[in-house]
Amino acid sequence: MFDRHFRLITIAPAALLILSLTVVPAIELVRMAGAKIAFTNDGVERTAALAENIGRLANDWIYWRALLNTLAFVITSTLAELVLGLVLALAAQRMTRAKGMVRTLMLMPILIPPVAIGNMWRLMYNPEFGIIAHLVDQVAGVRLDMLGSTSTALLAVIIVDVWHWTPFMFLILLAGLEGLPEEVMQASHLDGANSLQRLRFIVLPMLWPAIAVAFVFRSIGAFKVFDQIYLLTSGGPGVSTEVLSLYVFKVFFQNNELGYGALLSLVTIAIVCSYLAVFRIAQRTKGAL
Amino acid sequence: MTILTRLLGSSALLASTVLATQALPAEPITILINTSPWYGGFEALVEKYEADTGNKVSIDAVPLGGLLEKARNAVRGPAGNYDIVNLSNAWVVEFYAGNYLTPLTDIDPTFSFGDNIIDADGLLYWNKDKQWPMKHGGVPMAFSPNANTHLWYYRTDQIEKPPETWDDVLKTCRSKGGEVDYSVVVRGARGNPIRFAFSTYMLSFGGSIEKDAPNGDFTVTFNSPEVKHALELYIKLAKECGPPNPGSIDQGEMIQYLVSGKAKQAGIVVAAQAQMDDPEKSAVVGKISYTVTPRPADGANRDVWGSWQMGIPANVPAERKKAAMEFIKYFQSDDAQTYYAEAGGIPVSRTVLEGPLSEQEKFRWMRPYSQASRYAKQLLQYQEGAEIEQIIGLRLNQALIGELSVDDALNTAATEIHDVFVRTGRRTGLLPPLQ
Repeated sequence: MFDRHFRLITIAPAALLILSLTVVPAIELVRMAGAKIAFTNDGVERTAALAENIGRLANDWIYWRALLNTLAFVITSTLAELVLGLVLALAAQRMTRAKGMVRTLMLMPILIPPVAIGNMWRLMYNPEFGIIAHLVDQVAGVRLDMLGSTSTALLAVIIVDVWHWTPFMFLILLAGLEGLPEEVMQASHLDGANSLQRLRFIVLPMLWPAIAVAFVFRSIGAFKVFDQIYLLTSGGPGVSTEVLSLYVFKVFFQNNELGYGALLSLVTIAIVCSYLAVFRIAQRTKGAL
Repeated sequence: MTILTRLLGSSALLASTVLATQALPAEPITILINTSPWYGGFEALVEKYEADTGNKVSIDAVPLGGLLEKARNAVRGPAGNYDIVNLSNAWVVEFYAGNYLTPLTDIDPTFSFGDNIIDADGLLYWNKDKQWPMKHGGVPMAFSPNANTHLWYYRTDQIEKPPETWDDVLKTCRSKGGEVDYSVVVRGARGNPIRFAFSTYMLSFGGSIEKDAPNGDFTVTFNSPEVKHALELYIKLAKECGPPNPGSIDQGEMIQYLVSGKAKQAGIVVAAQAQMDDPEKSAVVGKISYTVTPRPADGANRDVWGSWQMGIPANVPAERKKAAMEFIKYFQSDDAQTYYAEAGGIPVSRTVLEGPLSEQEKFRWMRPYSQASRYAKQLLQYQEGAEIEQIIGLRLNQALIGELSVDDALNTAATEIHDVFVRTGRRTGLLPPLQ
């Protein structure tokens, strides 16, 4: 009994802190979403405008286009990063020498600040001065402008994201691979399983928790993508690379429409939660099977 | 330079030096500013101010992306950290109308801007009755560290005579060839870049976004024949004379095209001129000259301001407001403005822009800039400005990349702008759609 009270008392400050840092802003966000907000010298002026804000959202075609772009970005980039990260992790696991060096080198893209990544890739993609356009021109005789064309701009920012975050997948999956029980692997070897069979029936099932964690983490990160798109395309050309976080930023900070921006934020949070719930259900279904 | 000009120039410099160094001892102040290309000149001038007066100034220089939020946070609280905040012209109405800045004459009733100081189409003043930034009936609210309008940059080794009309520009376009890849580079990236650059063309053809906003008539005129002509020319220049896929070209790319020698001409803000003669960045040192933005054959020269304004927040103590005023008065002096120019800044004193300095080769941009400063306009000076800029910036970009026809782009933008004005309760209307 004493132990239970003691635990509650000691955990209370941390719990209160977390509550105040998450629940209070969430409540404020909900309050804001139903209002039109103006700042005056007398303070913040709120006018009820829930119906107006919802009506705007229903007709806000840029938001819905941004949602489609975001889903395409999240699914494509996360899957690509997962597959590449897994391939690289499997290759690195087999290395007997220089594994540490490879792991350190793989970390490099994660360490580079987003602003540098944005500028670096923008220059590399430049159809006149960029190395990518130059190489494509040499090979195919076509002057490629990845960021300037509506048909390739989203792919261009996905490529940058894959370059940036595949090492993150690699590190999680390599740690997962190295944690697999050696005796199971040896037993499967003795049983005559070939590499593909070992991957399909031993490694992937046992690695599933690590894959799930990496996938969820990167999905959440991809939903929040902002800096690289802001720096590479600012959502253009047209609305081809407009994503949710960028659009919410524009409404909140450029248009200074805090009420409507809050509603967009809430809907975006709900969409991310739904996505994760679908993933969780899929995971449970797989477990049940 | 005649002896008389030299004497006049020297006298003016001497007089302004005396005035400048008369700044009073004052409390230390802190300035919030963005790290724009002209920032180095401003920083140098602040150092000179400290040396001349003994007053202390701290600078908080932040990237452009974080400036607005810092400024908003600084002025909205009960006590502000910054004694001077730098604001883009797109934001000042929010700060003026919200009473977040102190009118400069409230701090010093004798203060006024000299007639030689560029007021960026009256944006330094706030008319409370009309809720509009204008000199007439307005009080001085801020000063410009850079008023920033376009110049037409052109290669003197490729183009014999500075183009005066768009026809002149089109002629050079059709004679393209040789070592230069592109005749004209047009700024086409979505959002503020294309909206801002296109505004110059729109104004020169007599077009506008709304009918008479300062007097409360927000009838949308963005789908007028004048705006259509301007957009057709804009797209023609981009597609026939410029690099492929202009829809992603922003200011950085335009400067790259010029300094790498791949383009003959472009309309870029004056702040970019310093890079043209920088041997570490430019392959065309000394080959770029400047003129005002060309006009239609039967039209007038027009331009648009993308100015910066520095104001004193209302929520700082009186002593610090006075200290900030000392800096402002110093900044306006010709001595300080001359030093500012030499250090890489863009002066706002026409005395300096048209004075002896402007006769030097290095400062060949000064006279056309001063000329443009006499007719450049401010646009979107109302609370819906940012939202409307996004609408225009998207629809123009879609027209440029071929997603929408010119008529569809302008009609759609006009309808969307109209919807915004209806929502905010403005007196508004629409022109018949273009067909």
